[in-house]
Amino acid sequence: MKNFKLHGIIICLIIIAELIGVKAFSLGPGKVVLLPMLYALILGIFTTPTFLKITNQKDMEDAGSLIGLTLMLLMARYGTLVGPTLPKIISAGPALLLQEFGNLGTCFLGVAVAVFLGLKRETIGAAHSIAREPNVALIGERFGLDGPEGRGVMGVYISGTVFGTIFFGLMASVFAGLNIFHPYALAMASGVGSASMMTAAVGSLSVMYPQMADQLAAFGAASNMLSGLDGIYMSIWLALPLTEFLYRKFCILKYGHELTEKEEGK
Amino acid sequence: MKQYNLAETFIILLLIGIMSMVSNTLSSSVGILEGIPGLLILVAIAMAGILMGKYMPGNIPAVAYVVTLGCILTYPGFPGSDIINLYMKKVGFVSLCTVILAYAGVSIGKDMDAFKHTGWRIIVLSCIIFVGTYLGSAVIAQFVLKAIGQI
Repeated sequence: MKNFKLHGIIICLIIIAELIGVKAFSLGPGKVVLLPMLYALILGIFTTPTFLKITNQKDMEDAGSLIGLTLMLLMARYGTLVGPTLPKIISAGPALLLQEFGNLGTCFLGVAVAVFLGLKRETIGAAHSIAREPNVALIGERFGLDGPEGRGVMGVYISGTVFGTIFFGLMASVFAGLNIFHPYALAMASGVGSASMMTAAVGSLSVMYPQMADQLAAFGAASNMLSGLDGIYMSIWLALPLTEFLYRKFCILKYGHELTEKEEGK
Repeated sequence: MKQYNLAETFIILLLIGIMSMVSNTLSSSVGILEGIPGLLILVAIAMAGILMGKYMPGNIPAVAYVVTLGCILTYPGFPGSDIINLYMKKVGFVSLCTVILAYAGVSIGKDMDAFKHTGWRIIVLSCIIFVGTYLGSAVIAQFVLKAIGQI
């Protein structure tokens, strides 16, 4: 906490990152958006002993120990973002409410692929959710962000920040092209707890179904608010226990037995 | 994870908040002092949530308390929610992320080898997770909308 050198370096990184500013460029049907938070992350990595050697081992440990607390401040702000939207959320229909459980779909697919790829405890952080801010905070509190679970959730969080928007824009078009799902269902599915991902997905749908554009935007926004509200509770009581359970089962399938702490590299 | 006492927690939260104000001022037109009331409210919410996580029964993570408290205080009609909402608009959400990721970057430095090992796998997995979430919700929404005759 009294590591003034570390805080000084962080302030410099933030100022540099903000001076570079938001960079957006078009790629295919969507946009790639680079935010100052991404530069701050990369600049932070560059200060470490592997690269520029501005920070040392103690600075890295101090930074790690602070992150859990910093996330609490972010979550306080997060709650105040959701609060004003609550009346609208409460008036949402049954389809909107029930499709929230679809966010658990990620556990089944995610854990299977993660274990198949050879990931160990990283799976728990990476595959329990779509890894937006509340999920990062939860994993940080439960396991610490400097362990394997933390690396998993941070990896997916960063991937989502960098190319999530374009991915959701493309995915919505592809699913709509399949003609299996009604555009309303796809709009509701777009609300995963990230405003930019939802906007990209609903944007693609609106281009394909201009006559429904208003309805699609309303469903997308409502579902996104709902995910923002229930995401944290869903993760604590459903997604995390489910992910732990599936992880054990898939490990037995792949390795023939549950992994010991040693095999997990702890 | 290292444990901090209440005074340390308070100072750290305040420090992070002030840094996010610097970030917010550079990226928007909000003056650095305008954010102070909102910031103090956020620090209070975070501290209250952390305390509840520690002392309330049921072993519920502090994160859940913090988010819930934030929701209640800004729920339209809750006493004082108008004023709190007004102050909150001066505190950028993305600026807070910028500060946190700067610390995360420095902290990640010590796990670089582990990250190199998992790197491409996590990127592949991220795509699968995006598809899984989207597909899961679309399937349920489709069934329910059909069942209640909305489509």
